[in-house]
Amino acid sequence: MEKGLLPKPLSHLLNLSRKYSLWVYQWGLACCAIEMGAAFGSPRYDVMRLGVIPFPASARQADLVVVSGTVTDKMAPPIRRLWEQMPDPKYVISMGSCANCGGPYWDSYSVTKGVDQIIPVDVYVPGCPPRPEALLEGIVLLQERIQHEDMAERWKGDPIVVGA
Amino acid sequence: MAVTTDWQKSAYIAAQAADARVNVELETEGMTLNLGPQHPATHGTLRIVVRLDGEQVVWAEPICGYMHRGYEKLCEVRTYPQVTTLINRIDWLGHFANEVPFILAAEQLMGIEAPPRAQWIRTIFFEMARIANVSLFLGDMGIQLGAITPVFYAFRDREYVLNLMEAATGGRFHPNFDRIGGLKEDLPRGWVDECHGVMTRVISFCQEMEDLLMGNEIFQTRTRGIGVIPAAVGLEYGLSGANIRASGVDWDLRRDQDSPLAWKHCDWKVWTHPDGDSYARYWVRLQETREAARIIVQLLDGLPSGPIQAKVPRIIKVPPGEAWCHTENPLGEMGFYLVSKGGRGPFRVKIRSASFNNISIVPWLLRGVYVPDVITILASLYFILGDIDR
Amino acid sequence: MTRLSSAPEEPVGGPTGEVAAPAGGAQPERDRLRQQMLDVLRRRLGDAVVGSEIAGGDMWVRVERRAWRRLAEVCRDELHMDYFCFLSGIDWMVNPAMSGEKVWEPEGGGVVMEGDEGDAPAPTGIQTGVGGGDSRFQVFARLYSVTGKIGLTLKVDVDESDPRLDSWVSVYRGADWHERETWEMYGFDFEGHPRLRHIYLPGEFEGHPLRKDFPLLSREVKPWPGLVDVEPMPGEEAGAEDATAGAGAAG
Repeated sequence: MEKGLLPKPLSHLLNLSRKYSLWVYQWGLACCAIEMGAAFGSPRYDVMRLGVIPFPASARQADLVVVSGTVTDKMAPPIRRLWEQMPDPKYVISMGSCANCGGPYWDSYSVTKGVDQIIPVDVYVPGCPPRPEALLEGIVLLQERIQHEDMAERWKGDPIVVGA
Repeated sequence: MAVTTDWQKSAYIAAQAADARVNVELETEGMTLNLGPQHPATHGTLRIVVRLDGEQVVWAEPICGYMHRGYEKLCEVRTYPQVTTLINRIDWLGHFANEVPFILAAEQLMGIEAPPRAQWIRTIFFEMARIANVSLFLGDMGIQLGAITPVFYAFRDREYVLNLMEAATGGRFHPNFDRIGGLKEDLPRGWVDECHGVMTRVISFCQEMEDLLMGNEIFQTRTRGIGVIPAAVGLEYGLSGANIRASGVDWDLRRDQDSPLAWKHCDWKVWTHPDGDSYARYWVRLQETREAARIIVQLLDGLPSGPIQAKVPRIIKVPPGEAWCHTENPLGEMGFYLVSKGGRGPFRVKIRSASFNNISIVPWLLRGVYVPDVITILASLYFILGDIDR
Repeated sequence: MTRLSSAPEEPVGGPTGEVAAPAGGAQPERDRLRQQMLDVLRRRLGDAVVGSEIAGGDMWVRVERRAWRRLAEVCRDELHMDYFCFLSGIDWMVNPAMSGEKVWEPEGGGVVMEGDEGDAPAPTGIQTGVGGGDSRFQVFARLYSVTGKIGLTLKVDVDESDPRLDSWVSVYRGADWHERETWEMYGFDFEGHPRLRHIYLPGEFEGHPLRKDFPLLSREVKPWPGLVDVEPMPGEEAGAEDATAGAGAAG
């Protein structure tokens, strides 16, 4: 693994299996948590058909975390701690305007202006709150990225913005 | 106590006895348990620190503020139309219901009143917000107690209500539809018929919940006599809404105040339950969801025609003064104390949200209960984090 | 608890309110009741009641600081205000930069204060509201009677240099969290409160956010075009402000 590269067919297979077995940890914070709940827990949107399993027992089993909702300054340290507990390779979806940039609370004294100030974000899903379909699209885009991912390039990628 | 029943008495005595026993008999090592800030059993990000003696809670303290967004300050630096965008998100499940008391307070200061059709549509949306909010509780309470199915049913039937909201307002979740002096738009064509169908569905959903959960023996043993709130204590802590009606207090602001909204034109009932325990709170909310559907059906039938917006200036300036306006929101009494200096934005907005008071009883209520009951009690009190922290 | 005696004693789960009728009757009657309540307060508290108003279907009473806790006791025991609604503070200082009147003009490149041409200049200084007041800070609270279906707002002046006040926790247990919040947001000290500590903000937070002189730093560094969002109606010139427009058929 000196060069950090696997043979192409092998990495293809690895990525394929990684992309369809994403265990997603729900870090539901505010309004978006309900839409995330609708996407993950409701029969209409049914995230499991995408090969995403939304019920890990703890962050230590999760590959993906969806930060959905307003991140406050008081909440920021626990979020960082949670992210540090996740095993690599780990992915972060920032859901909703608040987690992206502060959203309607852009001038508040207690809100962190974007979760990307604390942890690196792979996919931004805009909206206030985004529809469940938007979150599903974010997950699909993330899966596409995982499919073509070269682990050596893992950290060089730019984040995805849904709809942009 | 005048409204105490046998259920209340026995549970209260048991809790007190347990409380005393914890301190005297058992000599187990104390343990501090931290629930949250992100815990599957808490909606959102409430953190509760409980000190345990064996299985019993000796002392409990909720630590809130993980969702504090500074609403009262932000309202001061925004104009009136901008404030409604913001306050949608206080109780994010009761979206439209948050806007109404603020708009009513501003209208009261300006001395204008929305035309009847607007008031009726407001009431319809208000009750739809109640259904969207409480139906999630009805499912969620099940999942907290280990019954997985109800929450799927709740999410399924809630979608129909949200679709209606979206059809009329464009916003599935945060409609931002209420304006000073009326509404943003009129209802789209065909909406009323569709709404009739959805309300039939909501009523059958309530029936389903009743069949699934309320008759269930496990559900009953886990909720009956758990977390009993005597009426006088509840009032002193400022509990409101279904939480206090489940303790036998017959108080509903929809009926008990002279409001411009259209509840006075319908035939509906305020439900109370004398027990004051978790079961009673669930029961009262279930009945309220039914009543909400009934109210909507009646309002749809009698919807007056006419304009939906009164004459208001293009740039809203509210005359100086102070107004207090409160309504019966899905979670309880929500009120806005609005102070205006005559500018485009409010000078001071005190937001009295229901969950803040509802949850302040938790240190008192959790003393002496067992750990599994902590979950039951928190679920049955039903709070929204945004409504606590604002 | 006899004051709940009018609460219903129905069979389990019986419906209580038969028909939705606004309680209390006509407004003048309610105002007479409010006047009686005010008389009780004046009788019990004497000249500590320094301001009062009954208007618009509501009532306000302002007392001196020494009578603040006594006021709560009288309200609870004699006016049967059994329901504690809220308690909070207010800062009457007018700070134009924090009043929502701050606008951003991209062409000018700077922050200007909106001064309306026809109107008097924006007021500055301290102007207290209903019920009067002598100081910059006030604490106000709201109580309600679920039996009488009537409520009132209580106010008290708080000295700016010495912001101390009696706590209500011994009268209404629900005041605990509200006083913690007011302490955090305004820095008032409630004497007799079991333990004043942060409720919303992290422990290391500095300042009292709801004071009018607490700046919102995001607004200082990045003005927002929030106030110039009044788009002209179709066929109308931009800048025709204050024109009355019934938006009834719009959309």
